[in-house]
Amino acid sequence: MANNRWGYPDLGFGIGLRSVHFEHILNNNPAIDWFEVLSENYLDTGGRPLHILDQVAERYPVVLHGVSLNVGSTDPIDFEFLKKLKALGKRVNARWVSDHLCWTGVTGKNTHDLLPMPYTDQALRHTIQRVRDIQDFLERPIALENASTYLEFSASKWPESEFISALAEEADCGILLDVNNVYVSSFNHGFDPKKYIDRIPKDRLVQMHLAGHTNKGTHILDTHSDYVIDTVWDLYRYAHRHLGGASTLLEWDANIPGFDVVHGEALKARQFREQEDQLISAEELEEIPAYGD
Amino acid sequence: MATNPSLDRVQRWMQALIQDQGTCEEAVASERAQAEISADVARTVVLPSKTLSAFERLDIYREMYLLRMEEALSTDYPALKHFLGDEEFLRIVARYVEIYPSRSYTLNRLGDHFPEFVATLSDLPKREFCHDLARLEFALTGVFDAGETPPLTPEAVRAVPQQAWETARLKPIEAFQLLEFDYPVSRYLGFVDEENPAPRRAPKKTWVVAYRRNYHVHRMDLTEAAHALLSALASGETVGDAIVSVLTRKWRPAVKEKQLFDWFRDWMAEGLFQAVEVKS
Repeated sequence: MANNRWGYPDLGFGIGLRSVHFEHILNNNPAIDWFEVLSENYLDTGGRPLHILDQVAERYPVVLHGVSLNVGSTDPIDFEFLKKLKALGKRVNARWVSDHLCWTGVTGKNTHDLLPMPYTDQALRHTIQRVRDIQDFLERPIALENASTYLEFSASKWPESEFISALAEEADCGILLDVNNVYVSSFNHGFDPKKYIDRIPKDRLVQMHLAGHTNKGTHILDTHSDYVIDTVWDLYRYAHRHLGGASTLLEWDANIPGFDVVHGEALKARQFREQEDQLISAEELEEIPAYGD
Repeated sequence: MATNPSLDRVQRWMQALIQDQGTCEEAVASERAQAEISADVARTVVLPSKTLSAFERLDIYREMYLLRMEEALSTDYPALKHFLGDEEFLRIVARYVEIYPSRSYTLNRLGDHFPEFVATLSDLPKREFCHDLARLEFALTGVFDAGETPPLTPEAVRAVPQQAWETARLKPIEAFQLLEFDYPVSRYLGFVDEENPAPRRAPKKTWVVAYRRNYHVHRMDLTEAAHALLSALASGETVGDAIVSVLTRKWRPAVKEKQLFDWFRDWMAEGLFQAVEVKS
C-alpha cells in the first residue's frame, strides 16, 4: 500500500539492474519485486542493454533513476534529454522517474558528479521552478534523492532536510530518501541523521535507497561498493517507523557480487521492516487500556 | 567581485575548480575560477568540517572527477589502455578532458573525439598504431550502440530471381562499420581480449568489418579486395557494378570468382545485410 500522495505503489524490495546480472536474471527469473535502472544507460542506444531492459520490463516493475537531470543547475533545462527520458519511461512502463537534488554541470559541460547545492533562498526558488518545468514536460511528478555530500557552503541557511522538504512541498514532487546518504552526509557534516529523517514529509516519500559506503576516517564516500552497515540498517528501521513503508532498493555499483548476494542484501530490508512492524504492533497493543481499567 | 556570490557564480566557480588539474590552491587562484569568485572570497565559500579544511573537502570532488573520466574512457578503450599502461593512459585522459570535457548527459559520448585527439599527440609512443587502435575501439562502441535491424533471411535471399541480382542493391545492417588500418590492430585487440602476449606492432595494411549479431559485437578480418567489394555494396552500388569494379582491378592475391561466392556466403551467414532491393 502506498503512503504517498500520488498513490505510487509500494513495490517491495528491489535492486539496481546491472549488466553483470543480465544473464542471471533472464535465465532464472529470480523472485525479486522490482528493478531500478540507470536511465542514461538506456538512452541513445539500440544495442544489448536496451534489448535486455525490454525483456526485464516485461517481467518486473521498473523504475527509472537518473544522474543527469541537473535539477539544481543554472544552465537551461536540457529538453532533448527530457524528451528521450520521457520516451524511455513510456517504453518500459516506468512506475516513476527519479533523480537527485544536486547539479552536475554548467556552461554546457557535465562533470557527471552529484554536486552539492548551497541551501539558500535563491537556490530553493530556482530549483522549485526547474522541478515544476521538468514535471510539466514529463507529465508526471518526479522523486528527488538526497545525494551524499562532502562539503557545505557557508551561504546555506537551510539544513538539507528542510531544503528538500520545502522543495518537495513547493514544487509538488516526491522524495527518494537514501538512508545511506543521510548517514554519509551526517558523518561528513556532523548532524543528527534521525532529526534529518524526522523532517521528511511522510506523504512525499516515494522510495528509499540503501547501499554500502567507504569510510576514509576523515570522511565517508558513497561508493555503493559493500554491504549496508548496521548503523544504516538501524536508520532504515527508524525511517520505516516514522515515515511508513516505501518501495526499498538496494544499490551496489562497484565490486558487484553475484545476483544472489545483492538480492540477499535487499531482502534484509524486508526482515528489518517486518521486525519493526511487529514491534510497532506490540507497542500499540500495550497502549490499549485493558478491560476494566 | 561579488562577496556574496550568486548561485550561477558558485556553480561556475566550483566546476572550474573541479576541472582544474593543479592543486586546489592553484585552481582557486586560476583565471577561470577568479572570474567568478576572487581567491580571497573563495576561502570563505566552503565550510571546513571537524576533520577536513574547506580545500580538502573540495579536493574530494576534484580527485573523483579525473578518475571518473578515466574509468569511462578505459571502458571504451581497454586495448589502448593496455598498450599504453595505466599511467600513460591517465596522463592522456587528463589532457583530453581539458580539451573535450563531457557535454552530454551520458559518459558514453565522452570518447567520441578520442581517436582524433590521439592522432595529435606528437609525444605519444607509436602514435600511428595508437590512433588505429583507438579508431577500431571507437568503431566497436558505435556498433555496440547502433540500432537493431533484423538481418536478411535465407528465404528473402532465395526469393530474389537469379537474373535480378545484377541490378539488386544490398543494404547493410545499422550496426556495421568498415575500417582500414595501417597496423594490425584487430589482431592486437584479439590478443588483449584473450590475455595473450601482444604481437609485434610493425606496420601492415589491414581491413576489418565490425558488426553486431544477436546483440553481440564481432569483427571480421577482410582482404583488401573484400573490403573494396563490401564498401562498394555499402555505398549503394548494385551487386553487378560492385563485382565488376572488384574483378577488373588487380589484387594481391588475385580474386577469383569462387572467392566472391565464399565472401557473399560468409557475409550473409554473419547477417551483415538487412535488405536486398530489387529493381522492379
